[in-house]
Formats: sequence, structure tokens, C-alpha cells
Amino acid sequence: MKYALEIEHLSKDYGSFRLEDVSFAIPGGTIMGLIGENGAGKSTTIKCILNLIRRDGGTIRVLGMDNLQEERSAKEAIGVVLDESTFHDTLRPTEVGQVLKHLYKSWDAPLFAQYLDKFGLPRKKTIKEFSKGMKTKLSIAAALSARPRLLILDEATSGLDPVVRDEILDEFLTFIQDEDHAVLISSHITSDLEKAADYVTYLHRGRVAVQGAKDELLETYGRLACAKADLERVDPALLVGRRVGQFGCEALVKDRRAFCRLYPELTVDRVSLEDIMVFTVKGDVQ
Amino acid sequence: MIGLVYKDLMVLKKHLRYYMIFLVVYGGMTAAGMGPGILGAVICIVGMILPMSSIAYDEQARWDKYAAATPAGRAGIVGGKYLFALAVIVGMTALVLLCMVLLHLTGLVEDSLADLVLIALSCGGAALFLNAVTLPLMLKFGAEKSRTISMGLFVVIFGGSALAAMMLKRQVKLPVPPAWLLNALPVVLALLAVGSLAVSYCVARAIYERKEL
Repeated sequence: MKYALEIEHLSKDYGSFRLEDVSFAIPGGTIMGLIGENGAGKSTTIKCILNLIRRDGGTIRVLGMDNLQEERSAKEAIGVVLDESTFHDTLRPTEVGQVLKHLYKSWDAPLFAQYLDKFGLPRKKTIKEFSKGMKTKLSIAAALSARPRLLILDEATSGLDPVVRDEILDEFLTFIQDEDHAVLISSHITSDLEKAADYVTYLHRGRVAVQGAKDELLETYGRLACAKADLERVDPALLVGRRVGQFGCEALVKDRRAFCRLYPELTVDRVSLEDIMVFTVKGDVQ
Repeated sequence: MIGLVYKDLMVLKKHLRYYMIFLVVYGGMTAAGMGPGILGAVICIVGMILPMSSIAYDEQARWDKYAAATPAGRAGIVGGKYLFALAVIVGMTALVLLCMVLLHLTGLVEDSLADLVLIALSCGGAALFLNAVTLPLMLKFGAEKSRTISMGLFVVIFGGSALAAMMLKRQVKLPVPPAWLLNALPVVLALLAVGSLAVSYCVARAIYERKEL
């Protein structure tokens, strides 16, 4: 299998926060969702991939190229959208295109013009006149027009309305129709990733807490809803986290099928990525 | 790197227009009898403020992070800033020189053409030297933190020059450098300006390579 991105044992120590032993790989033609609560290490991981910060350990390969040894070639293959607009407010979209055509060898000016039309971005307006959604669309248009093979988005869809988010996610799904292409999206809006991602890596406190194919994870994990007495007789090793309320209890089950075989009388529902995140944090607190 | 210089020009084009007005005003002051030195100072002022502003705007827009993530990388960012500073200084020196020559030809400035060329080139050299000192600081600490140091440096150099000129006018006896040094002074200063910029570029590259963005 060809991987667009391979990260092995990545670590970075900030003193107050440590990214530890993060490993994952994104196969070509897929979308990987990097999820986690604020400060879990998503942006640190992306910054390490882009060599914006110095890593303390581990290796990163972009389309088979070492991201430090072959930095320029690796970056030619990456399209980047950071969490906020990074273009100067006084620039116009056409000027952004003029700047980027000198930065990327593979810059596709007609494609950029097409995206400006497709996203309804006025060419003559300055970026400061754009809404947040328009700024994000401009960043995505710029990233895609560099003809990348790996698209990296750091919280790019946060703060956008559902219609714009949906439009953008559709664009990513079109992008990965090419088997050579892949997308890494970091987000804490898990519903977006449930729609678009093929793989999910959940970072929690700088470590990989959960990882795998999204459908498999959603199929394996389960959400137990029961009375307090029922929860007390369940083997804790089968649970990840729990929420005990006045009228009932909820818990995240690691293996839904195995659990149902052991406790057929208890109801285990399907989970969302958000459930996995929330219960993992709760399990950590307990 | 060319893309990054083009970006700086696009972002600062409004400022460039203002500085043209600045040039006209200072040209008028020179014509009014304040001497061509004041026009030469425009080279240093613009040559210092524009690179500083471009770094400040990049920080504000978080462009530095984005640019470092493009194939230009950290080396491109540093190279782009030095190239932009160089382009601004060379452009301003040429404009100021043109302005001085026009004033000379119309008889509004009495200094010889050779003196005017020397003033413009000296100010261009001083602007290069100022950037050689301030650019690594700005790339390391950011434009805001480095502003005070840069302004201090500007005051020391120009305050010192003005003081020396005043002392000479009042016929205060200053130590006279040897004749060979006086003859070679233009070349020495030019080498100092270009050399310091080259050294500064290497220092800035090393600083920015280690910077966490």
C-alpha cells in the first residue's frame, strides 16, 4: 500500500506539554481525521509535519520523502490550510494567485481561477472584506491550485456554518478520487469527520488514544445505557469511560459484539466519534 | 523568493505611495535651502521602515507560518526579506539621486554632482548597514520587540553624524584620520555596508532555522 504520509514515534517536548510516540499513516486515496480536545497535540503534529517546529524524535515521510532531508520536494507535494486566514487583509485573490505562482512549481493558475468562480470569491475585493467562510474557501482554493498530492488542514472548518463546511468536505471527497491523493484534517468537529474521513486518529494528552478505520471504530465501540446497579456488575475492563447520572448511567464499551455476548440483557447502541472522545476523557478523569 | 518579494510589494504598495509624497516634501525642503543631506535621510528612513513594516504585517497575518509551510520554506522567508530590503534601498537611492540631480540641474541645489552622488550612496550604505543590524533581530524577536532597538540605532547613527557635522561647523578640532583612509573611505564604507549585510544574512538564516513558528 502506498502511503501519502507516514509518521513514526513522533515526539515533541514543550515542558508543560508533551507529544509522545505518535504514529500513524495515511494511505493514498483516503482522508484521515485527526481529532482530539483543544491542546491534545493536533496542531503540534501538523507543525512537525510542516517543519514549523523542531521535533525531538521520530520520523515523518511525505509521499516517501523525509520531511526534513527532502523538505522542498515534500512541501511541493503538500497543500496547506491553517486554522485562520494567513493572507494579508489588503491583498486581493488575484494577487494571492500571483504570489503563490512564484512559490509553487506546479501552481495551476487556470484552476485557481476556476475555484474562485466555483466558491463565488470576488476577484476585486480585498481579503478584509471577506467573511470567515470566504477566507477559508480562498485558503482551500489556494491549497488545491498548487496541485498537491497531500492536503493538510488544521482546524480549517472550525467556525464555519454547516452549509460551507459541507461544500468544503465535498471538495475533499472529489480531491481523493485520485488514488495518489490524501487528506489530513485536524478538527474537533467530529460530525464532519464522520461524514468524510476514512481513518481516524484520536489524540488525547499528546498520545494516540484511539486509531483505526472510522467505520471499524464506529462498529466496534458501543454506548451502554443502563441503571447504576447494572453498571456496577459489568467488568470495568470492558469499558473505557462512564457517566453516572441521577436517572441512569452511560458508558463506552470497547468491543460492542463481545460485550453483547457477555451481557445480552443490556442495551448497547452505536457510537459517534464524539462519544468516543467524550468518554475517553471521562475514563481518563476517573 | 521572488513571490515573497512580490507579496511584500503588494502589501506595502500603499505605503510606497506615501513615501513618494515624503520624497517630494523632503525635495522641497532641500530646495528651500536645508541641504541635500535631508533628502538622503529619506533613503535610511524608508529603507528601515519598509522591511520592518513587512515583518510586522507578516506576523499580524500569520503569513510567516504559511510561507514556511510552502516550498520557499524558512530559507525563502529570510532570503525574501533581505532581497526586499535591498530592492527598497537600491530603488530609494536611485529615486533620491534622480531628485538631487533634478534639483541640481534646476539650480535649486548648489552642491556638485559628485557630492550629491556621494551623499546618496553614503545614505544607501548606511541603510544597508542599519538593515544588517536590525533584520536578524526582527526575525528573531519580531518587529514589535525590535522596534526600540532599531530606532535607537537610527538615532545613534544620525544623531552622531549631525553632532559631528555641528562640531566641524563650529571648528571644533576632531581627530583627523590618515589621508589614505580618507581617500579610501567611500570604498571602505561600501565594503562595510555590503559585508555587514552578507554576514547578517548568514546570521539571520541560522536564527530563523531554529525558530519555532
